[in-house]
Amino acid sequence: MKRLWLMIPAVFFLVSVVQAETIKLPVASPFTGPLASFGEGVKNGALLKADEINAGGGIKGQKIEIVLGDELCDPKEAAAVATRFANDPEVAIVVGHLCSSATLAALPIYREAGLPAITPASTNPEIGKSSPYYFRNVYKDDFQGDFLARYAKKVHGFKKIAIFYEVNDYAMGLKDAFVKQAKKQGLRVIGAESYMAETADFKAQLTKFKMMRPDAIFIPGYAPQATLLISQARSLGMKCAFFGADGLDDAIMLQNPDADGLFVTTPFLVDRGGAMVKEFVERYRKKFGIEPNWFAANTYDAVGLAAAAITQAGLDREKVRAYLASISSLEKAYQGITGATYFDENGDCLKAAFVKVVKDGKWVSAEEQLQ
Amino acid sequence: MLTAILEHSSLFLQQLVNGITLGSIYALIAVGYTMVYGVIQLINFAHGEIYMLGAFISFSLLTGLFGVGLPFWLAVVVAVLACALAGVLLDIVAYRPLRRAPRLAALITAIGMSIFLQNLALLIWGAQIKSFPRNLIPAFFNEPALQFGDVLVSWLQVIILLTAICLMLALQLIVHYTRIGRAMRAIAQDKTAASLMGVNVDRVVSYTFALGSGLGGAAGILVALYYNAVYPTMGYFAGIKAFAAAVLGGIGSIPGAILGGGILGLAEVFGGGYISSSYSDGIAYAVMILVILVKPQGLFGRQLRDKA
Repeated sequence: MKRLWLMIPAVFFLVSVVQAETIKLPVASPFTGPLASFGEGVKNGALLKADEINAGGGIKGQKIEIVLGDELCDPKEAAAVATRFANDPEVAIVVGHLCSSATLAALPIYREAGLPAITPASTNPEIGKSSPYYFRNVYKDDFQGDFLARYAKKVHGFKKIAIFYEVNDYAMGLKDAFVKQAKKQGLRVIGAESYMAETADFKAQLTKFKMMRPDAIFIPGYAPQATLLISQARSLGMKCAFFGADGLDDAIMLQNPDADGLFVTTPFLVDRGGAMVKEFVERYRKKFGIEPNWFAANTYDAVGLAAAAITQAGLDREKVRAYLASISSLEKAYQGITGATYFDENGDCLKAAFVKVVKDGKWVSAEEQLQ
Repeated sequence: MLTAILEHSSLFLQQLVNGITLGSIYALIAVGYTMVYGVIQLINFAHGEIYMLGAFISFSLLTGLFGVGLPFWLAVVVAVLACALAGVLLDIVAYRPLRRAPRLAALITAIGMSIFLQNLALLIWGAQIKSFPRNLIPAFFNEPALQFGDVLVSWLQVIILLTAICLMLALQLIVHYTRIGRAMRAIAQDKTAASLMGVNVDRVVSYTFALGSGLGGAAGILVALYYNAVYPTMGYFAGIKAFAAAVLGGIGSIPGAILGGGILGLAEVFGGGYISSSYSDGIAYAVMILVILVKPQGLFGRQLRDKA
C-alpha cells in the first residue's frame, strides 16, 4: 500500500517529461563569421515561424524547438554540423544550409543517413540533382544567372560586361549560367576574374578591366567582398555600373556610398507581396526591431514546410521525404509568404526573381521588373 | 595600333603604381620581422596581428568605439603608439621568459600568440569586414594626385609611398646613428658580448619590438585605408607575405626587407594583372622560391657561419 503512494508522484513525473518533450528542428547556417548577417535572417525567420506554430498549439500538441547549427559558411564545419544532426535519432528533417558550398558538403551526409533537408537559400544547380533527400524553396542559379543576363541586356541595354566571381560553388554556377545566356543575348563578356573569400585587394584586376571599358561589372559572390570591390573600382576612377545576385542582398551595401545604383536579384520583395507578406513584415519588425531580408522570408517558409511535413508524416525520415516529394504540382503547393512552393522531380522549385536597387542608402524595388 | 599601344602602356603604368604601393606596404611590415630576427633570431609570427591591431585600433578611435571619437591624424598617431606598446608587451609576456629556451619553443609561442590575437580581435570586433566611414577620413585621400590619361595615382597612394619612405629613412637613421641603434647592432652581432659590454639586452629588445611594431601598425592603418577594409584575419595573409618578403631580401637585413617587399608587391600585381588573378599569390611566392634557390641567404642576407 505504502509503495503505491510512492509510485504516484513517479508516474506523474514520467507523464510530465513526455509532455514537455519538444520536436527538434535543426536550422543550419552561418550564424557567426563574415556572413553572419545572412544567418541572422535565417535564425529570425525560423524563430518567428516556430513561435507562431507553437502559439497555435504546436504540431499535434508538441512544441517545435529550433536547434541552431553554426557552420560559418565553411564546408568543413557544415559537414561536422550535418553529421551531428544526422546522428540524432530525434531529428526528422533539417532546414539549411545557406551557402551552396556548405550545402554541397552536407548533402552526402544527409543522403547516407536518409535525412531529408530543405535549403532556403542555396542556389547551386547541382544540389537537387545530387540527392533525393534535398529540397529547396529558392530558385536555382541557372535560372538566376540566365535572368540577370536577360535583365542586363533588355532593361539596361549593356553591351560589354566584365565579371568578378568568387571561387565557390554558388558564384561559379551563377557565372556559368550568366555567360551562357549572355552569348544568346549578344552581350559581350570581355573578361572574368576570380577571387578567394579572403581577398581584399582587387585593384590589379580592376585596373585590367578599366582599360577595357566595360558598361557594367557583374559580381557573382557575396556582399563583404563586393562592397570592397566596388569602392576600389570607384577609387580607380571607374564609372561603370555594378550588378550582382542574391548574395549581394545585404545591408552592408547600404553603408557604402559607392554602391549607389547597384542592382541585384532577390527571391523576395516586400512590396510585391500581398496581405500575408505585410503581416509577416510587421510581426518580424515587432519581434526583432529590424527589416526582414530574403533569407528570413525563405527560412520562414522552409520551417513552415518542414512543420507541415512533420504534421502529415510524423518523425519518420522516409515518410517526411515522401511527403515533401508528393508536393509536386501547383494544386498541392505549400502557400507561404514567398508564394506557392512545389517541387519538381529533383526537389527543386520554380520561383520568380525580382530586382532591387541601392538608392540613397536604401534598397528599393527596381522600376522595371522582368518575368 | 597607336591606341592599342597607348592602352597597353597605360595599363602597365597603372599596374606599376599599384605594385609600388603594395610593395611599400609589404616593406613596412617586413622590416618589423627582420628587425626582431636580426636582434633575437626569432621569427615573430604574431607580427601580422600587430598590423591588424593597428587597423582596428585606429578604426575604433576614429569611430568612437572606445567612447571617444578622435580626429583622424590623432587617431593614427595614437594607434601607432598603441601598436608599439602592444609589441613590447608581446615580447615581455610571451618571448622574454623563453629567451634561453630552444628557439623552436619561442617560434611555437609566436604562432600561438598569432592565433590568440586573431581570436581576441574576433571577440572584440566580430568577423564582419569594417570600412572607415567616408566622412571621418580626409576627403582628398581618394582624389587623384596625378593623372595622365587612364593612369591614376590617388593621394592615398602618394601618402603610402611617402610614409613608407620617411619611416624607413627614420629607421635607418635610428639604427645607424643613435646609441640604441648601435646597441641593436651590437646585440645582433653577439648577444653575450654585448651584454658583457654593459648593453641592457632586454631594454634594447623592447625598443626593437616597439619600433618594428609601430611600423607594422602604421602599415596596417595604411592598408585599411587603401582597401577600405578592416577584419581580424587581415594580418595573417599580410604577415605571411611580409615574412616571404623579409626572407627574399635576406632575413635580418633592413634594406633587404625593403627591396623584398617591393619585389613581392610588383610580382603579385603584375602576376595578377597579366597572367591570372587566381595565381597572383602563387606567382609572388614562386618569385621568392626562385630567389632563395639561387641565393639561399636572400638578396642582402649574411652568409650564415656555423657557430663552433
